[in-house]
Formats: sequence, structure tokens, C-alpha cells
Amino acid sequence: MTASAAVSVRGIATGAIPRTGGGAGHRVRRVLLSIARPISIFVPVFFLGTFFTFLLGALSGRSPAALQLGDAATPEAVAALNQQFGLDRPFFVQYADWLGQLFRGSFGNSWANGVPVATLLGDRAVVSLSVAGLALVIGVIFGFLFGVLAAQFHTRWIDRAITTGTTVFSVLPPFVVGIALIAVFAVGLRWLPAVGFVPIQLGFWPWFSHLILPAVALSFDTVSDVARQLRTGLVSAYRENYVTGAQVRGLGPQRIFFGHVLRNGVGPALSVLGLKFPALLGGAVLIESIFGLSGYGTFAAQSAVTGDVPSVQAVLVISIVLVVVFNLIVNVAHNRLIPSASRGV
Amino acid sequence: MIKTVLKLPSARIALVMLAFIAFITVFGPLLAPYDPLENTAQNLAAPSAAHWFGTDYLGRDVLSRILAGAPLSVASTVLVAGIALVVGAIPGILSVYATAVFEWISLRVVDTFIALPFLVFAVAMTALLGNGMVQAMIAVGLLVSPLFYRVARSATLSVARSQYVEAAVLAGATTGWIVRTHVWSKVLPPIAISLATTLGVGLVVISSLQFLGIGVQPPTPTWGGILASDLGYLPQQPYAPLFPTALILVTVLAFNLLADAIRDAAGESGRSLVGAKAAKANRARRLAASGYSLTPSKEHA
Repeated sequence: MTASAAVSVRGIATGAIPRTGGGAGHRVRRVLLSIARPISIFVPVFFLGTFFTFLLGALSGRSPAALQLGDAATPEAVAALNQQFGLDRPFFVQYADWLGQLFRGSFGNSWANGVPVATLLGDRAVVSLSVAGLALVIGVIFGFLFGVLAAQFHTRWIDRAITTGTTVFSVLPPFVVGIALIAVFAVGLRWLPAVGFVPIQLGFWPWFSHLILPAVALSFDTVSDVARQLRTGLVSAYRENYVTGAQVRGLGPQRIFFGHVLRNGVGPALSVLGLKFPALLGGAVLIESIFGLSGYGTFAAQSAVTGDVPSVQAVLVISIVLVVVFNLIVNVAHNRLIPSASRGV
Repeated sequence: MIKTVLKLPSARIALVMLAFIAFITVFGPLLAPYDPLENTAQNLAAPSAAHWFGTDYLGRDVLSRILAGAPLSVASTVLVAGIALVVGAIPGILSVYATAVFEWISLRVVDTFIALPFLVFAVAMTALLGNGMVQAMIAVGLLVSPLFYRVARSATLSVARSQYVEAAVLAGATTGWIVRTHVWSKVLPPIAISLATTLGVGLVVISSLQFLGIGVQPPTPTWGGILASDLGYLPQQPYAPLFPTALILVTVLAFNLLADAIRDAAGESGRSLVGAKAAKANRARRLAASGYSLTPSKEHA
């Protein structure tokens, strides 16, 4: 996992734009480029992603007739149903129509029962977003904590312990972590419930206690990757001449850390966070299945097995949109923290 | 280079572990003491002389199921890596030499593949396209191919810009000759590293799909499937998931060790790695500084 992360860090976070010189005209051009660059990367990602999603549905050869009418369907009934769902039109007409629907916020109707997919997804969103959101928060907090600790105590035993721990945990498959957490905390110690979800309206603790284990299981990968990237970034930032300069000028360690080191060393960790987000959404499929949560992931898996193409496409499109938006946010944060990054230097 | 890799103890350990896994994969179904699908009245039995790993909820022998599940778990992982290698590395090398249009399109496709939530797409593709192991392997292979694309592309870029290649071009060498003579040998080590990493990642993903019951039908024994059925009986057999987990982890660990060993033996560090002492120091330094597990690509998309 880390290998692909490290290799592709630059691909998404920083494209290459030739460095422009000084002057007012160049300045305007530079600002425009810094806005245009992320868009030029993410717009193709969105359109290609949605195109793959639609192509997948078309290639699958599934149809609402097979779902609703069964094997004994007459050809007329099948044709009528196909016409009702607009499946008798050419591929690109269907694609344009589907894309237009997406921009109006509609995902079409489920092939299984004709209910709009958006309603089917409505209450599942809470489950998935709770788990993925909490996992992201845990990932950011503990990832930064461990990364900073390891960098501060560089080459001491704390650093070794954290580095070893994160290396081991990043290799552990998520289902192994999930099963181990259930075996220890739910079955062994009986501290936390093993399965299920409780809405937050029934109280904070019941809601939170059902979320802790899945979120922790999902966040392991993010914690270890963020910690490792942050440690590397901070350690190399501490070696820079401007840090020595700041020390010589008598700045306190705190000011050096927040003003010089953290700001310059946080780049790789932020990029990896942007890359980990798809993994968080993807890992949710597994985690939801282990912890018996009915979220997007299990919905997508069930719909895909039964062949309910619009439902699967809806989940895929939502995940693409979330990934693109999250990466744009990471990009903006990156550019604000490290202004040189927006110049593509 | 292979000789240098074999000098490293970690590579030898990895190869021994992989030989063990390969043995299980090839001969596992023959070695199984019982029929992996045979139900008996002895369900959820503890490990004993008759059933070394105990029995599962239907009274099936767990050792037999693990051995019988090895080919489907390990062999499909190897095929996944093979598909990813072909689909990723060849366009990656070509993207440097082909037209700008091909380069732009392939880069955008790779960006998209990286941004897609991996497991959701793997599940959706496999299940929609027919829910078989072949579909699962193609889906996962396609989705992990960007790693090979990027690695092959960045290695090719660094060679293509080097002076000896420029000299060869000036001397009238064709693109095909340059790729065969100069590019290939420079691109191979990073691709070997990626291949070892992908084999580890691939097993985890394939097991995840099997865990979810995607791509396999219930009675078929697979490592992921065994874990999924163990999960329901944790209160009775909390130790049961350990057996398939241990095998998966040993395999993943072996591939990661191998990837690290190849990385140490290849390129600059490989040259300084003639003596065993140098090797030891190198490993220690790398362990201490193990932030990036691969050298970040130098190319800018």
C-alpha cells in the first residue's frame, strides 16, 4: 500500500507547470495556473471515473428484466421494461442522459424495486460517513501525534518503537485488524459491542461505542502511513539550514517547530492523507461487513451481486465525488501551508 | 544482481518462506488429510491429533480446507500481479516514447485509477461482471496496474534523459534498440520491487474479496472465506482465525522482505553492498529511515 502511495504522491498533489519568472503579467498567470492546475487534474479524474462507472454497468450485461421478471419473462415484457429504463437507446445517448441526471442530483431508480436510489442511500450515508469520518479523525490525530513524537525523539527508543509499530501495522490486512479487535475487545474483554449501529438520537455513548472498533480498524493504515510520512518530512526539515539559522538567532524550540519545521515538513503527510482517503472509503466495504453495519459498502456489494446496476453506480459516483473533493481540500491546505508548492516547484 | 540479492539474509529467509507457500500451493490439495467439503458431526472441535487445526462450524477439517484453499488464494494473487505488470509496465515505458496524446491520456487514466476507492471498485467490477475468480483477478489486476505504470515510466524517463542514450540516438540507434539495450536493464529492478510489493498487496486484496464472498461460491475453500466463517464463531473458537491469518501474513511478509532485499541490492546501494558488513549497515540505516518504501518518482505528470 505504501509503495503505491509513495510513488503517486507527486502525481496527484503536484503536477508540473513550468516555473514562471517575475513581473506583473507573470504573477497573474501564476495565480491562474495555481487555480487551473488542480482543476485540470481533477476534472479528467471525475469524467473518466464516471465514464468507467457507466461503462462497467454497460459491460456487465445485466438488465432490470433479469432482476424483476425472472427467467419466464416474455420478450415483449423484457423489451417494455428496457424501454421504461431507457436501455434500448445507443450507449452514448444513455451515458449523456445519465451524466445529465447526475448533475441534477439524481441517481435514477433501482432496478430491483424501482425506488429512487437516492432514498435507498439516504440512511446508509449516516452509517458510512460516521465510520469513515471517525476513522479519518483518528488517522489524522494519531498519525500526527506518532509522527511528531518519532521525529522529536529521532533515533531514540520511542522513535524505534513507533517506526517498528507503524511498519507492522501498515502490513496487517484490515480484516485481520477487525477480527483481532472484535476477539479482544468485544468477545474477550466485553468492553464494546461487536456488531451493529445505533443512531446518535439514542444517545452519544451507544452511538459512539458501536463506532469505535470499526473506526479504529479502518484507521490503522492511515495512522501508520501519516505517521511515517510526517516523521520523514519533519526529520528532513530539521536538517535544513534555516532551522540551524533560527537556533543560532535564539528562537525557542516551540517556535522553530511550529513556524519552520512543521510547516515545511508536513507536505508528504498531507499528500498521503489525500491518497489514503480512497482507501478509507474502500476499506469501509470490508469493515462494514465485519462489524455488521449496513452502510454504502455492504449496499454496493449486495447490489453488485444481485445486478442492480444503478445502485452500484450511485455508490461509485458518490465515492469518486468524495475523493475528488477531499483531494481538492488537501491541495488547498497544501498550497496555503507551503506556498512554493502552488508554483509547482 | 540476483547474486547480490541472495547474499542478503533477509532475502534468503523470504525465499524459504515463499518456497514453503509455493509447496502448499502446488501440493496442498493432495496433502489434505480429509475432504475439505465433507461435513461431520464433530463441529467446532478443538485442535487434536486427528484434526490438527480443529474443525469448523460444519465439522469440516480446517487444515484440509486451508491446504485445499491455497491454490485459489496464492495462484490468483500471482496472476493478479502478472496482469498488473503487463497492463501497467508496457504503457508506462511506451508513454515516454509514444505520442504526446497517448502520454496525456494514459496519465489521466492512471490518475483516475489511483483516485478510485480501490476495494469498492474491485467488488463492484467482480460482482457485476459475473462474480467469478477470473473477473476478480482482472479487476484487481487493472486497479493495481498504476503502480507499475508509474514505476516503469519514471525509470524510463531517467534513462531517456541520460547522456549515453542521447549519444546512442546521435549515433543513429532506433527507439526499439534503445529500449532493448538501455531502458530494459534500468527498468527491471524497480519493476521487480513493485512486483514483490504487488504480490503482497494482491494477496491481501484477493483474500479481502474472498472474505466478502465476492468471486467465490460458499463451499469452495479459500483463506479469506475461512476467516469469514470463523468470524461468526469467535466466542466458541477465538483462536480459529489465527491459522489462515498466519499464512496470509507469512506470505505478505515474505514478499515485503523480498522487495526490501531487491531494493537494497539494486542500483547505487547495491554497488556499495559487496561485503556483508556493508549490507548489514545498509539494512540498519534503511530500517531507521523507513519512511518511503519506494523512492519517490522523479517525474512530474
